[in-house]
Amino acid sequence: MTIPIEALRQKKSTPYEHQPDRYPDFQDELAELERAGEIVVQKIDGDYLEVPTKFGRPKRIQKGHLWHHKSCGQCGHIPGYSTSIFWVMRKLGYDYDDPKDQTSCTAWNYYASATSNAAAQAAVAVRNFAAAYETGYFPLIHCGTSYGHYKEVRNELLHHPELRADVRKVMDKLGKPLVLPEEIVHYSEWFYAMRHEIAAKQVVDMSNVAVTVHPACHYYKLVEGDAIYDPDVYGGQRTAVVTGLAQTLGAEVREYSTWFDCCGFGFRHILVQRDFTRSFATLRKIERMKEEADPDVVLTHDTGCVTTLDKSQFAAQAHDRNVGVAVLSEAQFAALAMGAHPYKVCQLHWHSANYKPMLEKMGIDHEKAWAEFQSDLKRLENGEKRYLEWDDMD
Amino acid sequence: MSSSPTLDPGDQEMRGAYFKLEAPAGFPDVPMDEKQRLFDEVKSDIRFDDYLYGCYECGICVAVCPSAKFYDFSPRRIAQAAAREDVGLIYQQMQEDIWECSQCFSCLRCPRGNNPGGIITIMREVALNNGLASAKEALGGYSRIIYKIMSTGTQVSPDMLQRDAFPDWGPETGDVSENLDLWRRALPSETLHTTSTGWEVSDRTLVELYLIWLTTGALDMISEIDAGLHSILQEIMEERLEDEEIEL
Amino acid sequence: MAFDTVVVIGGGPGGLRAARGIAELGSPVVLLEQDERLGGTPIRENYAGLTPHATPAEPLMNEMAEAVTSNPNADVRLGTRPTALSGEPGAFTLTVAGPDGESQVECGAIVVATGFQHFDPGRETQMYGYYEFDDVIALQDLEAMLKVHEVVRPSNGEPPKQICFVQCVGSRDRHIGNEYCSKVCCGVASKEAIEVRQMLPDCKVFIFYIDMRMYGYWENEIYWTAQEKHHVQYVKGVITEVLPKGDGLIVRGEDTTMGRPMELPMDMVVLSVGMEPSAGTRDAARVLGIRPNRFGFVDAVKAPLDPVATSKEGIYACGAALGPADLEDTVSSAANAAMHAVGVVRGQSRAGAGGRQPGGPGVPGPGAGRRPARGARGDRRGGRAQVAADAGDRR
Repeated sequence: MTIPIEALRQKKSTPYEHQPDRYPDFQDELAELERAGEIVVQKIDGDYLEVPTKFGRPKRIQKGHLWHHKSCGQCGHIPGYSTSIFWVMRKLGYDYDDPKDQTSCTAWNYYASATSNAAAQAAVAVRNFAAAYETGYFPLIHCGTSYGHYKEVRNELLHHPELRADVRKVMDKLGKPLVLPEEIVHYSEWFYAMRHEIAAKQVVDMSNVAVTVHPACHYYKLVEGDAIYDPDVYGGQRTAVVTGLAQTLGAEVREYSTWFDCCGFGFRHILVQRDFTRSFATLRKIERMKEEADPDVVLTHDTGCVTTLDKSQFAAQAHDRNVGVAVLSEAQFAALAMGAHPYKVCQLHWHSANYKPMLEKMGIDHEKAWAEFQSDLKRLENGEKRYLEWDDMD
Repeated sequence: MSSSPTLDPGDQEMRGAYFKLEAPAGFPDVPMDEKQRLFDEVKSDIRFDDYLYGCYECGICVAVCPSAKFYDFSPRRIAQAAAREDVGLIYQQMQEDIWECSQCFSCLRCPRGNNPGGIITIMREVALNNGLASAKEALGGYSRIIYKIMSTGTQVSPDMLQRDAFPDWGPETGDVSENLDLWRRALPSETLHTTSTGWEVSDRTLVELYLIWLTTGALDMISEIDAGLHSILQEIMEERLEDEEIEL
Repeated sequence: MAFDTVVVIGGGPGGLRAARGIAELGSPVVLLEQDERLGGTPIRENYAGLTPHATPAEPLMNEMAEAVTSNPNADVRLGTRPTALSGEPGAFTLTVAGPDGESQVECGAIVVATGFQHFDPGRETQMYGYYEFDDVIALQDLEAMLKVHEVVRPSNGEPPKQICFVQCVGSRDRHIGNEYCSKVCCGVASKEAIEVRQMLPDCKVFIFYIDMRMYGYWENEIYWTAQEKHHVQYVKGVITEVLPKGDGLIVRGEDTTMGRPMELPMDMVVLSVGMEPSAGTRDAARVLGIRPNRFGFVDAVKAPLDPVATSKEGIYACGAALGPADLEDTVSSAANAAMHAVGVVRGQSRAGAGGRQPGGPGVPGPGAGRRPARGARGDRRGGRAQVAADAGDRR
C-alpha cells in the first residue's frame, strides 16, 4: 500500500469534529419566547436518553410517559405499524397515552392539495401539542411527514410573530395555551435510542436476514438539524435511525445506489396520479435494491414510504418488473425480533408485497400464525369477545 | 408548434426574458397586471423570504428531485423564475409545474438555503385562492379526501381501501374491505377499532378542528374547487359549533 | 533593543516570506512555527506542485525556508506557539511555549501567518461519504498521491479509469456556514486534473462545478489548457451525492447546460474542499486579542486598501489567516505585513490609526524609535543609514 493511502486511512479513522456554537439552536429561541411569555414549552420529564444529531447538538429522548401522536396513513391502511409501536413500548415496560383528542397533522392533505394555509397548519399542530401538554405526557410523533411538518411549523412560529398572534387567537377560542414541546421526537428516534433495550429482549435470530434501509425524506431533509447522526453508523455521513436498530438486532444491512432518493410517495401522486409514484418506487428504489442488494426485507420508518414501497409492487409485477420484496417499518421488524405475532401484532395481512419468504428466513411459521389469528377472529365472529386486547397478543 | 408572437416592443408580454406561447398549454391567458397581482400575492406570504435567497444554478435541487426524473419539471426554474420575478413564466408554472412537485423537500439540500418546494406550496395556495382552472383540474378527484380530512380529523380511513379505488395496490385491498369490521375489531389498541376514520377522534376534538378550519380561512379555500363540497362542509361544521355553543 | 524585533507566527509560505522580508530589511525577526519543520501546509499535507504552474512544492518551500534560516537576523523556533500577550504596540511581550518550556519574547510588532486548514468533507450536510467510502478523497489527498507519482484507488490499489472533482465542497454553502468562495479550489482542481491526465492518459477526468473561478492568467494557463490540451471534461452542475454501486461509486447531479439529471459511475471522487481558519489562526486571534471575522479568519479591519491591518495596532496578518488566499496573494500580503511591521519597530510609521508613539520606558532604540511618525526626508535618510550601519555592525 502506498504511503499516502495509509495516511488517508489513518485520517479517516478518526471521525470529524463538530464546531460548537456554529449553528443557531432553536432551543435558545424557544427559551427566549418562553421568558417573554409568548409560548409555553413542554419540557422533557423523567428518564431520557441523549442521542447525537446532525450538527452535534445532543437531543433528548424521553423514555416513557409518552403521548402517541398517531399517523392516519398507518392507522388507516397499515395498522400493524401502529400496533407494533405500542406493543414494543409495552414489552419494554413504559407507560403511554393513546389519545382520542388527537387530530391528524393534516400535512398529507396540505402537501397534496394545499387546501390549507400557514395559520391553519400551525393551529392544528399547536392544538395537538396543547392536548398532549394538558395530559402531562410528552408527544411522540408516529409519522415522518407529521414530524417534518411540525418542525417546519416550529420554525415558522419562532420566526413570525404575526403567525403566533394568529394562532394565539385560535387557541384562545379553544381555551388552550400556545404550546411547543422542547424537542419534536419521531418514534424511530425512540426506537433508535432504545435499540439496546430492544435487543436485550430479542428472541428471533436476524443474522441471516438481509435488509435495505430507506430513510424518509421528511425525517432528515426537512429542518435537517433535528435528525440523528451517529459516528458509529455510516461514519456519521447518513442518518442513523433504522440502520442503527437493524444492525443492533443483528441483521445484515446492505447498500444500494439510490439511498438518498425519495420513495416517490408524492402526497397527491399516490392518490390521484399513481403512475408517477409506482414508476418512481419501482424504477428508482425497489428494482435498484433487488439488483444491487437482493434484500429479504426493505425497512423504512414512515407511513408514506411503507405505503409507497409496499403497494407499488403489485402492478409493477404485472409488467414483469424486478420487484417482489417485503416492506416493513422498523417497528414491525423490531416487534418480530422480540417475538411478536406476525398477524395479531404486526398485522402483516394488510401488506401487499409478499412477506412470507421473509418470515421463513426468520424461522417464523406463518401458516401456524395465520391459523392462530383465524381462531382469534372466530372468537370475535361468534360474539365471545367484542374486541381483541393486548392480553390476547401473546 | 409555437405561434409566432408579434415582435412589438411595446407589448408588455414580449419584454419578458423568455418567449412564451400566447395561450400556454390550453389554459386561458390573462393580462400582465393580473399575473403581477398573482405573483405579488405569492411574494407577500410571510414565508416567502424564508424560502428564497439567491440562486447560482448549481443544479443540486434538480439532481435530487424525484419529479424532475419523470416530468418536465425543475425546482431550479421555480426558484429562478421567482428570484427574477418573471411573472409571465411564474403564471405558466402555476398552471402545471407546481402540481408535479412531490413535496419531498429533497430540494432543501440547496446550498443557498432556498426552498423551491416551499415556494411551490405558496404558489399552490395562491392558485387555489384565486380559483385558477388548472388548480381545479389538478384537484379533481381529490374531493373525497378533502371531505375526509376536514370533516373527520383523519386523512385516510380503512373504509377507503376499496378494490375499485386502489385496483393497482393488489388483491389484499379487496381482502381488507371484505373483512373490514372484523379485522378492525382484531386490533388490540382501543382507538383503532374504527372503520370510517383512522382512529377514534373525540367529538370535542372534531369541534376544535372545525373551529380551526373556519377561523383561519382554510375551509374557504375549497370554495373555488368544489362549491358543493364547500357548502356541505360549512354546514356540518357550523352546525356542530352551534351545538357546542361556540362563537366564531 | 528588544522591541526592535518583529515576531512572525507561522512558518508556511506567508510566514517565511514575511520573515525573510523583515530580516533583509535589517530588522531582527523571531519566527515561531508549531510543527517540527518549516514549510506550512504545502509540506505538512504533502502537496505535489503549487498552483498555477505546478512548481514542485517541497523544493520551493525549502528554498523559502533557507532564505530565512540563512539570514542572521532571523531566529527560527520550531515546535513553538504563542500563549499570551502583554504590553502595547511597539512594546509587546509575547509569551511562547516551546520544547524547552515557556519564555518571553519582546517585540515591537507581530505578523500572524498561521494560515488555513482544509475543510473536513465529512461534516454534516455533505452527502459525499468521505468517511464511508475509501475512494472518496479530497484535494490534498490527491496531492499526496501525485507527489509520490502513484495515483491509485484506495479501495484496490488500481489506477482509476474515470475520476471526477466536485467543486465548492465546504464553501459557498449556507448550511455549513462557510458562505464565502475559497478562491483556489477551481485552479487547484484543474491543475490536479491536468497532472492526472498526464500521469494516466487512459483515465477520464471530469470536473463538476457551480462556477469556474479562473482569475486573470489562470483562465488561459490552466482552464483552457486543461480543456484543450488535456481533455478534462467540465460540466456545469455540481454533484449532490456519492453512493456505492457495484465495486465503484456513482455520482448524481444535474447537467444544467443540457437541463437534465445525470448519474455517472466513477472510480474515484475528489472533493475540492475549501479553506477554513486553522486551529493556529483561531488560537493566535484569541491569544493576541485580535478580532476574528464571522468565519473565524482574522478580520482585516482596514480592507481593501490596507488588507493586512488587524484590529490591534502593531499586529498584522497575512496569507490565509485572513481568508482564502492563493500563493501569490499570500506572498504579497506577507511582504505588505513585513513592511508595516518594520515601519512600526523603527517608529517610521504610525503603529495604527491611533498614532501612538512606539517604544516603552527606558528602551534604547537605534534612534529611529524616538522619531515622530511624520518624518521629514532627513529622518528617513537617517533611518536608512542607521540600518546600513547596524547591518555593518552585525557582520
